[in-house]
Amino acid sequence: MWLKFKASTIKELLLLMRDRAGLAMLFLMPMLLIFIMSLLQESTLKKLEERHTPVLIVNFDNDSLGINIVNGLRSAGFFEIHELIDGKQPSLEELKKLVNYGKYRVGIIVKEGASEALRNQIRCEIQQMFPAEEGDLFSPPPDPDKPYPEIDIYFDPITQPTFKHAVSSALNEFTYAVEAKMIMGIYAQMLNDIVGIEINRSGNFKNMINLNEQYAGNRKKIIVPNAVQHNVPAWTIFAMFFIVIPLAGNIIKERESGMSLRLRTMPGSNLAVIFGKANVYFMVGILQAVFMLLIGVFVLPMVGMPALELGSSILALLLVTISISLAASGYGILIGTISTSQEQSSIFGSISVVILAAIGGIWIPTFMMSEKMNIVSKLSPLNWGLDAYYDIFLRNADVSDILIYILPLFLFALSCILASWLYNRYKTSN
Amino acid sequence: MEKASIIDIKHLTKCYKNADEAAVKDLTLSVNKGDIFGLLGPNGAGKTTTISILCNQISADEGEVMIEGHDLNSESDLIKKIIGVVPQDIALYPKLTAYENLKFFGNMYGLRGKVLKERITSSVSDFGLEKKLHSKVGTFSGGMKRRINLIAGILHKPNILFLDEPTVGIDVQSKNVIIEHLQQLNASEGTTIVYTSHLMEEAERFCTHIAIIDMGKVVTVGEPSALIKAYPGCSNLEDIFLLLTGRSLRD
Ligand SMILES: Nc1ncnc2c1ncn2[C@@H]1O[C@H](COP(=O)(O)OP(=O)(O)OP(=O)(O)O)[C@@H](O)[C@H]1O
Ligand SMILES: [Mg+2]
Repeated sequence: MWLKFKASTIKELLLLMRDRAGLAMLFLMPMLLIFIMSLLQESTLKKLEERHTPVLIVNFDNDSLGINIVNGLRSAGFFEIHELIDGKQPSLEELKKLVNYGKYRVGIIVKEGASEALRNQIRCEIQQMFPAEEGDLFSPPPDPDKPYPEIDIYFDPITQPTFKHAVSSALNEFTYAVEAKMIMGIYAQMLNDIVGIEINRSGNFKNMINLNEQYAGNRKKIIVPNAVQHNVPAWTIFAMFFIVIPLAGNIIKERESGMSLRLRTMPGSNLAVIFGKANVYFMVGILQAVFMLLIGVFVLPMVGMPALELGSSILALLLVTISISLAASGYGILIGTISTSQEQSSIFGSISVVILAAIGGIWIPTFMMSEKMNIVSKLSPLNWGLDAYYDIFLRNADVSDILIYILPLFLFALSCILASWLYNRYKTSN
Repeated sequence: MEKASIIDIKHLTKCYKNADEAAVKDLTLSVNKGDIFGLLGPNGAGKTTTISILCNQISADEGEVMIEGHDLNSESDLIKKIIGVVPQDIALYPKLTAYENLKFFGNMYGLRGKVLKERITSSVSDFGLEKKLHSKVGTFSGGMKRRINLIAGILHKPNILFLDEPTVGIDVQSKNVIIEHLQQLNASEGTTIVYTSHLMEEAERFCTHIAIIDMGKVVTVGEPSALIKAYPGCSNLEDIFLLLTGRSLRD
């Protein structure tokens, strides 16, 4: 029995190694997919968040408001801030022209005296809050007829409304911060004047409220992988399941060539032969996973993408990989057993794997799917594997954490093999 | 006077699932130890079906088969160890070399190591293929493939060898090598050979016993010389064959 299994494994290994094209497909396809998909998603993400938008700011104010806006935009990171054109401050006309031609996406003008106007307005507000008999709080008294401070924003004509909105809200944020700081400063001055306590005014009023960004839904924990953390495991699993096609094709070829009939005349269980065959594809699956993960760890960083972090439990990683490969092999045996021709198996095999991949969140990560689709995705064994990898890579899950994924994968493999065996028995009894 | 029978077939019936008529109908036959037994018949007579049942490739609907005293249904694994099968269609891996193919089949019968290696080299040289041992079977001519196909069935020295049309589509030289080798195997090892053919001349020369079957039934059985005597007006097996199975096309 053992010899039969071993001999089948060796035979299948030789056959596979001589099938260069098939082998190339098994390794090159997922590698290309990882590269293409990671690069694509990475670059869209960059476009959304990281690409530095050129912004021209003319700070005619040169006081706290203007300086805060320039520094704020600069430290926000999404913008590339320019203040000088050919070494000097551009005029309003120059700025309009440059923005109109698209040289800069945004032009911002902080008008002269804007800070002073803001200070004046704040003082007016404070003055109004006190009863008239208190008299003037400030000297010289603020002038309520003076204009409000102004900031003009010019956009490149092709700018998208969402981007406009992003810029205005960023500006709003900085101006509010300046406003708050000024108000505090003025009150501090007043307290100082009235009570005679020296107040340290260098307090920082930024971000006293934390914004917790979350995705809606009642999933217990939401993990949002980056492009690499999603694409490497996703396409690895996809490729591992793609062995269904050569494995099933191989089983059918053996049947069509009369080989399985011949093997049936030989002593010992035929399962040894089938398992020997599946064993090779199982090992190919493991190799694929090792290969793809290494690409994620070492090669992707070379092309400027984040490196894949493998988490803290190598054992968990190994167990997940083994169970995925086992599930894929089992599925391949099933497809090979029930299909009646090569064509049928390759069509059925590839379509079913692509569908299972699609609902399993391989193409589009499940966190981007609707609640309903999230439930459907749980039907796909590819999803079990993907979730397990996510947990290992993003949450440092250990063996006990991933049992809930491994067990179903094992059961899936087992039921595929059982179904094939029953089907075969039914077939040969006819 | 009768030699001990090694294969006993009783009332064997097999109807394929989508077929209107049974391929083998109530077939009863026995083969004695040490015979070279020819199963003859026109195309579609049921020869391959019968052999397939005897070597466990398909199961019968009805009937009983005993091989070396073992019941085919309940003791198939015992039987598989003592039979060798050479299928009508070549069943080898074209991408593997002759040696790799034979090693695989040897392993399937539990042979391994030096014993297996020696058997492979000696069989291959018996059939004049030693130079091709490490070439891929896919590059072989039809005759060479047939010979490897045959070797794959005898490496484990079976007591009974089933061959389904082993000499189809090959030249006279290859055919003679095969026939001679089988005769030698029969003489030296006492291997019982059950072989199908529709080549009457070859069967007459080669077989110790024959059965002619048609439409799934045995029409006559016996030693070739005795049969020729028994049917007046027939000077060879072909005459008997035509007499019993008619001149119309089959299949
Ligand atoms: N797999 C099958 N399914 C359905 N019918 C079959 C199958 N195999 C054979 N038959 C039918 O069974 C009958 C016997 O076929 P079989 O192959 O046993 O004949 P044979 O004597 O070996 O013929 P040949 O000399 O052409 O090889 C034929 O009518 C054939 O059409
Ligand atoms: Mg036949």
